Amino acid sequence: MAQQRLALWNTEEDLEEDVDLSIAIGNYGQNMQYEESAFSQIPDVVKSFIVHFHQAVLDNNLADITVAYESGWNKYTEKFYSKTEWPEAELIAPLVNDDPIFLILYRELYYRHVYSRLQPNIDDRFHSYENSCELFNYLLNSDGPVELELPEQWLWDIIDEFIYQYQVFCTWRSKVTTKTQDELIMLAEGGPVWSSYSVLNVLYSLMQKSRVNDYIVAQREGKSPEEIAEIVGEYGQRPLYRMLGYFSIIGLLRVHVHLGDFTLGLKVMENVELNQKSPFTRVTACHVATYYYVGFCYIMLRRYPDAIRTFVTILNFIMRMRQYHTRSYQYDQISKTADRMYALFAMCHALSPSRLDDNIANIAKERYGEQYSKMAHGGPDALAAFEELFLYACPKFITANPPPYEDPAAINALISASAEGESPTQATAPQTDSTHRHLDLFLADVAAQLPVPTLRSFLKLYTSLGAKKLANFLDADEEELVQEMMVLKQASRSISRVAGTEGASLLEGQTITTSDLNFIIDENMVHIAESTVGRRYAGWFIKNAERTQKILDDIKNMPLPVAPKPTGPTTAAPSSQDAQTQNRATRNAGQKVAWGGVKVA
Amino acid sequence: MTSEWLSPPTRSELIENLVSGVDRYNPSNVGILEDYLYHQIRSEEYDCLANLAILKLYQFNPDLYNPDVVINILIKALTASPFPDFNLCISLLDERSTNAQLDEPDPLPTILPILKGLHNLLFRCRFPAFWQAYRSDELDFLRDNYTVEVAGFENAVRAVAIRGVRATFTRISSERLGSYLDLSGTTLSAYIQKLGWSVNSSTSVVTIPPNPDNQIEATIVQESVKLPQLTKIIAHSVASA
Repeated sequence: MAQQRLALWNTEEDLEEDVDLSIAIGNYGQNMQYEESAFSQIPDVVKSFIVHFHQAVLDNNLADITVAYESGWNKYTEKFYSKTEWPEAELIAPLVNDDPIFLILYRELYYRHVYSRLQPNIDDRFHSYENSCELFNYLLNSDGPVELELPEQWLWDIIDEFIYQYQVFCTWRSKVTTKTQDELIMLAEGGPVWSSYSVLNVLYSLMQKSRVNDYIVAQREGKSPEEIAEIVGEYGQRPLYRMLGYFSIIGLLRVHVHLGDFTLGLKVMENVELNQKSPFTRVTACHVATYYYVGFCYIMLRRYPDAIRTFVTILNFIMRMRQYHTRSYQYDQISKTADRMYALFAMCHALSPSRLDDNIANIAKERYGEQYSKMAHGGPDALAAFEELFLYACPKFITANPPPYEDPAAINALISASAEGESPTQATAPQTDSTHRHLDLFLADVAAQLPVPTLRSFLKLYTSLGAKKLANFLDADEEELVQEMMVLKQASRSISRVAGTEGASLLEGQTITTSDLNFIIDENMVHIAESTVGRRYAGWFIKNAERTQKILDDIKNMPLPVAPKPTGPTTAAPSSQDAQTQNRATRNAGQKVAWGGVKVA
Repeated sequence: MTSEWLSPPTRSELIENLVSGVDRYNPSNVGILEDYLYHQIRSEEYDCLANLAILKLYQFNPDLYNPDVVINILIKALTASPFPDFNLCISLLDERSTNAQLDEPDPLPTILPILKGLHNLLFRCRFPAFWQAYRSDELDFLRDNYTVEVAGFENAVRAVAIRGVRATFTRISSERLGSYLDLSGTTLSAYIQKLGWSVNSSTSVVTIPPNPDNQIEATIVQESVKLPQLTKIIAHSVASA
């Protein structure tokens, strides 16, 4: 596999050299001048930042790398490069002694900036792919593991960005009609650039090289550090490889979801435990992404209770995290994903009402109240609401294969076909789009369930009632109604993971009852029974006991109040005096506001 | 419950390695998986994950595409209702460019909507309507060219209906049950007998044995406090003691 990628990369390099050569010969002198002036235009602070950054990487100084990566880079981006590219790697090469590894890492950041802030052109798209290949090639095909160390956050971002760029490339590639002649030629000759196989290849190689799955299993079995070191080999012992291996599993989950393979997505996660102790949770962005994709897979597997549980866990985590992390540069991204998960949660909750977490349910209902009431009510308006939230919250879906760019006749036929039949294609386009394929499947499931809420609300009123009578209420045919009751039964059951099976595959599960309302049909008589939940006290007491303990701890840990200056009044006096002042301050506005103000603050 | 779905006991080690390993992406293995599909079809076995692996290979390698295989996979997945197998298969069917090189016209575009319709009827438990549609003249070619080859297809559909009936009914009239199973008279009696269900000879009402889904009881769920909920408090008292 490694060989295959090597070959692929070599051809790319040739191609690039050819192109560069012709430009270089054409404007050789001009180019030199341009580069000199471009170099002098780089602000000195940026130059020194790059030099420091390089030094930190050379020293494998994780703390300095983290500072440069998380704050320096973003700071100078805001200041100098919010609307333009960073200097090209060739330009800054003299600053870093042409260090090829640092230049690869620099380009990784350079292209990521282009993708997030600017509009990547086809060259950027091709070159960012080449640079990623170069990076992975260096990591995987050097003689033995490389010495490099990078912060976990950056490692996650490398994998995440790699998949993101693959996904946007596939989306961009699938739009045939907007391509220029040059782009058509490049796409025709692009070969394996951003092909699904090459992306999977990278992720699987990272997993295999680091033996991360063996590592997870060994950890779970409680093997000693020595045994684990033996098992994972020289690569897996290094944090860089181990984390890249971990992140590649999550990356695979994401790629499979983009491609519509929800079972395989969960299957690759087989060994990863979804809990707060798992190493992938150390990078918040990764933690959130994992739960989002897992939850979505569960929805498409019709396992709504599992989806709900997944979303509740992570949304609670995000809520708790919010107090600490709002300043993080990724916070925006995380809160956007959280919003989408609230939407997904609302959908699942409407399909499979549960009392798992009232708090999250209330927020979801608040945010998507209008859609939620339509969805929960069933009936004709519900489908539109489900569609709206699905399109808002679903992942981007892509088609694995490009349009036939390598076949000019076919591609021209496609272009002219869509040019000619402007309106007919527009009418048929939604069905051919992969997002709509998944949407249609989901909506078909939902549509089958639409009568369920109405049926439930009728059954709630009775302990037994004749099928004919119920059919009359609903203005339905009795036989149709009885069949509908089987759907209701079906909708009240779901496969779900069960407690105590931690460590089992995410696909494992058992059939559980998801509704409090249960019924059977005895020939033509419907018998209904409802389970109710007794009042719950424990949660309230536990929460408040914990809170009280924390307050007590805080008070105990507070420094003793500084003894008031001898010039001030005695300790007992000020409280009453303050209170008086405050009272006065509120009564006669303007008088002694400063006193009152201080006290209030 | 799902472990059988994840790894059916009939799956060989060779197939297991293909399904769970990286070799699933190797196009040269498609033949093995396709042979396994035809084996499933002949011997009333079913292995969803192995079949999804075929569709995955088709997704990545459009030149491998074989419409008959796809149709057979979908027919097998149809009778997994109410489990989502059918949808999972459709999810992997990427759009195909129209000029794919096939010797004969691609039958999938015409058959796919029909199968989706049949799936919808099964998923919505409209069993009599399913049989009516399935037996109709328009579906001649589906029966003659495809489902006739799938051993036990009709019984697999009946199993879907039985799943629904077993969960919903305690007693059901023979007539109604017969309409769900598309059986009557002696074949129906034989089928019911095979299930181990009893028929009242005078009223011909079938009694369905109790199972977890067709027993109801009004209960009050009392809360149970689990130890992990209290770990924080206990740990704290120990730490501060």
